[in-house]
Amino acid sequence: MRRVAAILAVWSLASGCGGDSGKTLLIAVNAPFWNTPYVGDTIANGAELAAKGLETGPGKVRFRIKRYDSGLSARTAVANVRRAVADGAVAIIDEGTGINASWRIANDANVPICITYQGGDGLVDPVGRPNVFRIAPTDHGVAFRLAEYLIPKRLRIALIVDDSAYGQEGLKALREAFARNSESVATRLTVPSGAPDLAPEVLRARRADATALIVWAEPATIAGVIAAARGSGWSVPVYTPAAGEDPLVRQQLANHPDWVDGLTFATGRPTAEVGAAPFLSFQRQYEGNFGVQAVGVRTPDGAQVIQPPDYAMYSYDCVNVLAAAIERADRVSDGEKILAALNQVSVGGANGDQRGFNERNHEGVVDDDVYFARFEGMTYAPVKDDPLSSTLTVIEQRR
Amino acid sequence: MRAGSAVLEQTRSALGAAVRDARAGWSRRATLALVVVALALLAPAVLPLNGRMPDLAGFVYLAVAAVGLAYAVGLAGIPSLGQGAFLGIGAFAEAILRAKGGWPLLPAILLAVLAGAAAGALTGLAVGRLRGAFVAVSTWILSWIVVLVLSSFPGISGGAQGLVLPEASVLGLRLTPTVHYEVGVALLALAILVFAIVAPRGPGLALSAARRQPAAALGLGVPVARLRLGAFTVSAAVAALAGALGVELAQIADPSGYGPLLSFKLFVAVILGGARTPLGPVAGLLVISAFSHAAEQINAVRGLPPGRLEMMLTGYGLLLVLALGGAGLLPSAQAWWRRFRPAPAQVRPQPRAETLGRVQSSRALTARGLSKRFESLVAVDAVDLEVSPGSIHALIGPNGSGKTTALRLLVGVVPPDSGSIALGRQLLDGMSVRARALHGIVGTHQTSAIFADLTVLENTLVGAGLRRRFGGALRTLLATPKARAEMVSTRRKALAALELVGLGNDRDRPAVELPAHGQRLLMLAAALATEPRVLLLDEPAAGAAPVELERLANVLDELRQNGLALLVIEHNLRFVRSVADEVTVLEAGRRIAAGSVAEVAADEAVQAAYLGRQRL
Repeated sequence: MRRVAAILAVWSLASGCGGDSGKTLLIAVNAPFWNTPYVGDTIANGAELAAKGLETGPGKVRFRIKRYDSGLSARTAVANVRRAVADGAVAIIDEGTGINASWRIANDANVPICITYQGGDGLVDPVGRPNVFRIAPTDHGVAFRLAEYLIPKRLRIALIVDDSAYGQEGLKALREAFARNSESVATRLTVPSGAPDLAPEVLRARRADATALIVWAEPATIAGVIAAARGSGWSVPVYTPAAGEDPLVRQQLANHPDWVDGLTFATGRPTAEVGAAPFLSFQRQYEGNFGVQAVGVRTPDGAQVIQPPDYAMYSYDCVNVLAAAIERADRVSDGEKILAALNQVSVGGANGDQRGFNERNHEGVVDDDVYFARFEGMTYAPVKDDPLSSTLTVIEQRR
Repeated sequence: MRAGSAVLEQTRSALGAAVRDARAGWSRRATLALVVVALALLAPAVLPLNGRMPDLAGFVYLAVAAVGLAYAVGLAGIPSLGQGAFLGIGAFAEAILRAKGGWPLLPAILLAVLAGAAAGALTGLAVGRLRGAFVAVSTWILSWIVVLVLSSFPGISGGAQGLVLPEASVLGLRLTPTVHYEVGVALLALAILVFAIVAPRGPGLALSAARRQPAAALGLGVPVARLRLGAFTVSAAVAALAGALGVELAQIADPSGYGPLLSFKLFVAVILGGARTPLGPVAGLLVISAFSHAAEQINAVRGLPPGRLEMMLTGYGLLLVLALGGAGLLPSAQAWWRRFRPAPAQVRPQPRAETLGRVQSSRALTARGLSKRFESLVAVDAVDLEVSPGSIHALIGPNGSGKTTALRLLVGVVPPDSGSIALGRQLLDGMSVRARALHGIVGTHQTSAIFADLTVLENTLVGAGLRRRFGGALRTLLATPKARAEMVSTRRKALAALELVGLGNDRDRPAVELPAHGQRLLMLAAALATEPRVLLLDEPAAGAAPVELERLANVLDELRQNGLALLVIEHNLRFVRSVADEVTVLEAGRRIAAGSVAEVAADEAVQAAYLGRQRL
C-alpha cells in the first residue's frame, strides 16, 4: 500500500513539474470524409502536416490530429464538436457545417474553431462568436470578385445555384454582389443538387439570353450544368467558385475533356507577392507525406493530372496559428488565454501570406486574395485578364 | 359532511384495493426492472460519463422512439417504415416554434407532440386499409417526402446549416445533457411500462387478435380499424416527443438527421430485438450501436466508410433475424434459455368461473328477401330466414349454395344488395359488424380462426372485451378501480365460456397447441364470451371425431336451453338431425325448403338437389 502511495506521489510530482510543455494536445478535424473525401482529406492532411512540422520544430507544443466525420450533416457536426470537447480537444479545425450551433458548445469550453472551407456570411463574428476564426476565402469575397471581374465584360449572366447549403449561401452572396448591376443578371435559377439531367434549367438560362453562367453549386451540379450546356452545343463561358476545381468536376466530364476547357473558377490564391516558393515548399512536404492527389484524368498529351493541395494550406495555417497562440499564452490548459492569444499572433502562411487575427477581424483570407483560374487541357492556370491573377505563378499539375 | 366522509372512505378503500392488487401482481421481474431503472438513473452520478452524456441521452431518446414504433409494429402489426419522419416532424415543429417563434420549452414540446400525433393519425387513416407490404412502402415514401420537403425549404428548415435552438431551461434548471439523459431514461421506462401493461390486457389482446386474424377479431366486435389507428397515432406521437427532446439536446435541427435511413434503423432495431417484447427495441438498438462501433473499428483498420458499413451490418442483422423466423433476438434468447431451464409451472390464481347467464330475450333474428350478387354470380337470392331464441336453426345445402354468404350478410361483413335483417323490431340494415355484435349477433368462421399468439384464455378474453365499458387503453394503463373490477368479471365470463365448451383446463395453453376441433371449440368460446343473443356458427363440426361431435351437440343443446338463438351451417347431416329444430336448405343461392327436420327430409326438391341417397 505504501509502495502504491509512493508511486502515485512520484507520478503526480513528475507530471506537475513538467508543466504544460511536452504534452500532446488534441486537435479535432470536423469535416465530411466520406461524402466529399476531397474536402475532408485535404483539410485533415493539412492539419496533420502542420502537426508533424511542429514535432520537429523548436516549439513546446505537440499536436495529435483526430478526424471526426460530419457527413455534411449539421447535427452530426455539432455532435462531433461535443465529442471533441469531451475528448479534450484544444481546437477544432472545421469544414464549416453546423457552426451556427457548435460554436456555442466550443465557446463554453473555451475551444477555438477554425473554419477552413465554407465561406458563408455570418459564420464568423468576432463579437458574437469570439471563438470562431476562418482561414478560407469568404463567399462575400468570391462573389464580389466575380462581379468585379465579369461586369466590365458586359455579359448577361445566368446565376445558377443548387439547393445545397453551399449553393444557397452562394446565392445570398451573389445577390449582394450584383445588387447594383442587376442589368448584368439575365436570370437566377435554383436547381436540385444531384439531379441527373439539368438540360431544362440550362435551356431556360439560354432562353433568357444569358451570355455567361455563374454556377455556384456542388461539384456534381457544376459538371451537370456544363454537360447540359455543351451537350446542346452552347459554348457559353462558365464561372464557378472554388467547387469548380474539385477533381469530381473533371472526373465527371472525363469523356469530354474539351467541355472543361474555359471553365473559370474563383478561389484563394496559392501563391503570394513573395512568389511561388513558399507554396511549392508546402506542396513538396504535403506530397512527401501524403503522395500526390491524382485527379484521375489526363492532359491531351497523356500526362497524369494532379491536384495541388491549395485548400490544405488553410488547415495547415490554422494549426500553426494555434501553436503560436499556445506559445504566447504559455499555458496549454488555459483555453481562455489561448483564445485571447489567437487575437494577437500571426504566422507566415503556407503560400507566404501572413495569417493572423485580431479582436475585430477573425478572417484569415482577405477578399483581394481571391484569384481566377481557367482550365485548359484539364489543368488550370491564373487568368491573364485580371490584375490580381495575371501575376500569379502557374502551379505545375502534370506528372 | 357525511357525503364527504363517504367519498374519503371510498377513496381509502379503492387505494387499499389497488395496493393489494399491486402486491399480488408484483414479481421478481418487476423488482429487477425497478433496480435497473434506478441504476440507470444513478449512473451519471457514479460513472465517469460526462463526456459521453450527449451520446447516451441521444441513444435513450432514440430508444424511446423505437419502443414507440413497437406499439405500431409489435402490438398492431403495422410495418411502419416512417418512424424517422415522425421524429423529424416533432423535431422540426419544436425547432421552428422555439427558434423562430420564440415559444417556451414545454408548450413547444406539447405542440410538437400534437403535430406528430396529427401526422400519425392522417397517415394511419391513409394506410389503414392497406396490406402490410403496401403500408411499409407507403410509410417509407413518407420518410422520403418529409426529408425532401424539409430540404426543399431551407428558409424553414435552416437548410444544411440547420435551425439552431436557444438554450432551454425549466423552472431555472438548465437542460444539460445529464438532465436530458435522466428525462430520457424516465420516458423510456414509461414507454416500456406502457407496452408491458397494455400488451397482455384488453387493448393489447385485441390488437394482437387483429394482427393475426383481422376478420375473426372484427367478428368478435373488436374495433380493428380504430385500435390500429390509435396504436399508430400513439406511436407517431411518441416519436415526435423523442424528436422534440432530441432536438433540444442537439440544439440544432437539420433535415439530414431525419432521412429514410433513420426510419430503416428504427424499424430494424424493433425487428432485430423483438417487436412483441417491451425490451426488444432497446436490445435491437443496442445491437445496432455495437454494429456502429464495429464499423468504426473496421474503418480504423481497413479504411472503410463507417456509415455505410453500419447500414450494411444492420441490413445483414435484419436478414439474419428474418431467416431465423423473425421473432427477434430477445424472444429467441428467451426460447433458447427455456430449453435449458424450463420455467416452473406457474399456478396463476384465476377468478372463479361464472356460469353464463340465461339470455333474456324473445327477439328472433329475421331476414327477408336477402340477396347478394358478386358480379354475374348470384350468391344469395331473396332468402327468408328466421332464427328464434332457444332454438337451433340449421342452414344446409351443397357447396356453393350461398350458406356462408348468407351468414356473412347476417353478421354484417358484407352488405346485401337487397333485403332486410332485423332483431325483433330492431332493423340492423347498415349496421357495422361491431354494432351487430353489440346487439348480440356474433358469428364464427368456417376455417379455423384462432389468435395464434394468444393463450386459450386470452383468445376468449378478446371476445369478452366487447362488453367492457372501462377497458380502454388509458384506464387499463392507470388500472382504475372500475377497470380492475371489470377485468375480474371479464375473466370470469371468459372462464365460464371455456368451461362450457370443455376447455377450462386448457386455459393457459397456447391456442395453437389445441387440436383442430379444440380450436373450433375455442372459436365458439370466444364468441360466447361476447354474451351473444344470436350465434351464427359456420361448420362447427368440421373435422370432429364422433366423441367430439357428441360433446359439441351437448354444448349446443345447453346454449339452446340458455335461450340463445343458434344458426348452424353444417354438412354433417347426422349432426344436423341430432341438434336442429328447424332446417333451411339453399341451392344456388335460393331457398328450396324450410321447416322441421322431418319436413325437409321428406321434401323431394331437397332430395333431388342435395340429399340424393343421403337421409336427413
